[in-house]
Amino acid sequence: MRIRKVAIVGAGTMGCSIAENIGEKGFAVFLVDRTDELVEDAKSRVELSLNKRLEKWGITEAEKRVTLSRIRFTSKLDDVATCDLVIEAVQEDPNVKKKVLSDLDKLCHPKAILASNTSTLSITELAAVTQRPERVIGLHFLSPVVRVEVVEIVRGLKSSEETVEAVKRFVRSLDKIGVEVHDSPGFVTTRLITPLLNQAMNTLMEGVASASDIDTAIRLGFGLPRGPLEMADRMGLDTVLTSMEGLFRDLGDFSFRPCPLLRKLVRAGHLGVKTGQGFFKYDEEGNLMKEEENLVYQGARR
Amino acid sequence: MKVFVLNCGSSSVKYQLFNMEDESVMAKGLVERIGSDDAILTHTPTGRSSARKVSSILDHTTAIGQVLEMLVHPEHGVIADISEIRAVGHRVLHGGPTFTQSVLINGEVKQAIRDCIPLGPLHNPANLMGILAAESNIPGVPQVAVFDTAFHQTMPKHAFLYPLPYVLYERHKVRRYGFHGTSHRYIARRAAEVLNRPSKGLRIISCHLGNGASIAAVKDGKCMDTSMGLTPLEGLMMGTRSGDIDPAVVFYVMKHENLTIGEMDSLLNKHSGLLGVSGISGDMREIEAAVNSGNERAKIAFDIYEYRIRKYIGAYAVALDGVDAIVFTAGIGENSPFLRQRVCEGLGFLGVAIDPEKNDSKGKEVDITGEGSKVRVLIIPTNEELVIARDTLEIVSATNSAN
Repeated sequence: MRIRKVAIVGAGTMGCSIAENIGEKGFAVFLVDRTDELVEDAKSRVELSLNKRLEKWGITEAEKRVTLSRIRFTSKLDDVATCDLVIEAVQEDPNVKKKVLSDLDKLCHPKAILASNTSTLSITELAAVTQRPERVIGLHFLSPVVRVEVVEIVRGLKSSEETVEAVKRFVRSLDKIGVEVHDSPGFVTTRLITPLLNQAMNTLMEGVASASDIDTAIRLGFGLPRGPLEMADRMGLDTVLTSMEGLFRDLGDFSFRPCPLLRKLVRAGHLGVKTGQGFFKYDEEGNLMKEEENLVYQGARR
Repeated sequence: MKVFVLNCGSSSVKYQLFNMEDESVMAKGLVERIGSDDAILTHTPTGRSSARKVSSILDHTTAIGQVLEMLVHPEHGVIADISEIRAVGHRVLHGGPTFTQSVLINGEVKQAIRDCIPLGPLHNPANLMGILAAESNIPGVPQVAVFDTAFHQTMPKHAFLYPLPYVLYERHKVRRYGFHGTSHRYIARRAAEVLNRPSKGLRIISCHLGNGASIAAVKDGKCMDTSMGLTPLEGLMMGTRSGDIDPAVVFYVMKHENLTIGEMDSLLNKHSGLLGVSGISGDMREIEAAVNSGNERAKIAFDIYEYRIRKYIGAYAVALDGVDAIVFTAGIGENSPFLRQRVCEGLGFLGVAIDPEKNDSKGKEVDITGEGSKVRVLIIPTNEELVIARDTLEIVSATNSAN
């Protein structure tokens, strides 16, 4: 089957940037959330993101308008009925995701593929709440979606070859590289990056080096665009904590046991870029504040 | 004999149907937004009113199918039966080092066009889709590929090679290819006709100034050098493309603005040129209007544009060891008397003079050479589709008579 019309359910950070990326590549997109207010928020978020890219010369004014014109922002879940692929990007809570998938299963036409953008949950388990487990698959986009070239294509135990092939073609048409993974907690990306983030936090907590120096060492030492602490701040420390807890529970490996410093920051409401502070401080645009200000910030927190 | 000429983009198909008895255009048109439920087909039979149809067209095969239906349509059609189309000519962007002229399409040619995708990542895949789509709609009808790069394949090695490690040329075919070849070829041939001189010994500088812009130095009817390079980004300043810059600007800007390769590519191709400098538009008409109303940024954008054309003309006059004719063509070249005047005013040392009255012309073939000029200056509207139709006819006739 050929995927042409795509719906994204859940217009949070991930949902919005997935919609932006798919719309940009020429697909008709529905971006759905529960209330008109959330939908309005989503629209301004996508616009803001496109404006930022326009400012950085990444796209043109015309390309921005075309992308926006391809995305229908809506609070009516019924609109997904005509779509070939529906990607849920609601919060990372198994019960919430199961409820959404079960609703979508009833609404969507029987040939439609249902995908979950989960980063840690079992696709097999999610698929079980639908009448079409062979047409349920994991499609794990990484943030920021327009810049990251890889997508994890997660096979559930019952995902059919046809479904996998259709989704692989779809991922290629987004100019991304699909990596096929079997259903296992954290797949490849989350499972491998989480211990690094956790160890960076432990290293900081033990006073081995400052946050800036830890990030600089890893960033320059291993050719990463960002250090692990900034990476965690950008993912959202609450999100990082949730996935660490999930992986620790499912895999039982101590390298996933959340660093106490992470818990402390989350309790304090310092969730990273989205609240302006986490391991570092950020301005309203999400840029890292100047080094001097960050030194003062870190000194005060100690 | 009817020849169908196609220019396929990733989501569009432009077409013209030629009657080669008298080289007249019977119909032309455009399919836009292929891949969507509201694709638009605009069809104009010559001398009659246009027809417009909005429908779901998901791929090039359907698009070309609908165009063919239109060609035989009882009301808007121009031929009685599809079988009247005896050949199809395709515009193909990049022929790499393989194609020095137009060719009859077969399996090998298709593979070679596919092999050139890394060199023309935006256009070659679409051109290939068009070929396959035409094939499936009218199987058995011979198809010809006409390459934008082919005319420039006569450039000497010292003109097409970059001063880079030689291994890059061997390994990745990094060299100057040049584009707008079909247009420059038409201009060179037509200029010889207008001047009533044989191509042999004639030195022509052909200025194709459209949305994209390039200059070619032509001697004996053969291209000696051209301003576009591995990609259409090199050379003249264009509507939204930078043209020549210090390559180190790329790393400098990427570092200081924290840009990805994709963003830098878009900056150079879509945010530079007239648009980037003026901040107003990439369209020369709007730039000229702004210059006339005293806008400083538009004025400097225009000055850079004009200055760089003159620099290239000077360089190519040297490359050709003199110049017999300078020709202006394409959107800006055909329609901007102001630009032509400014360019030619600055070429006094070459002995160029134009007649201001004759220069006051748009879109017509005119000899604008001024009194006492040592160099002829011409405006020749380009016609790439006609070249494609002629090549197609020639190749198909030769193949038919050989069988």
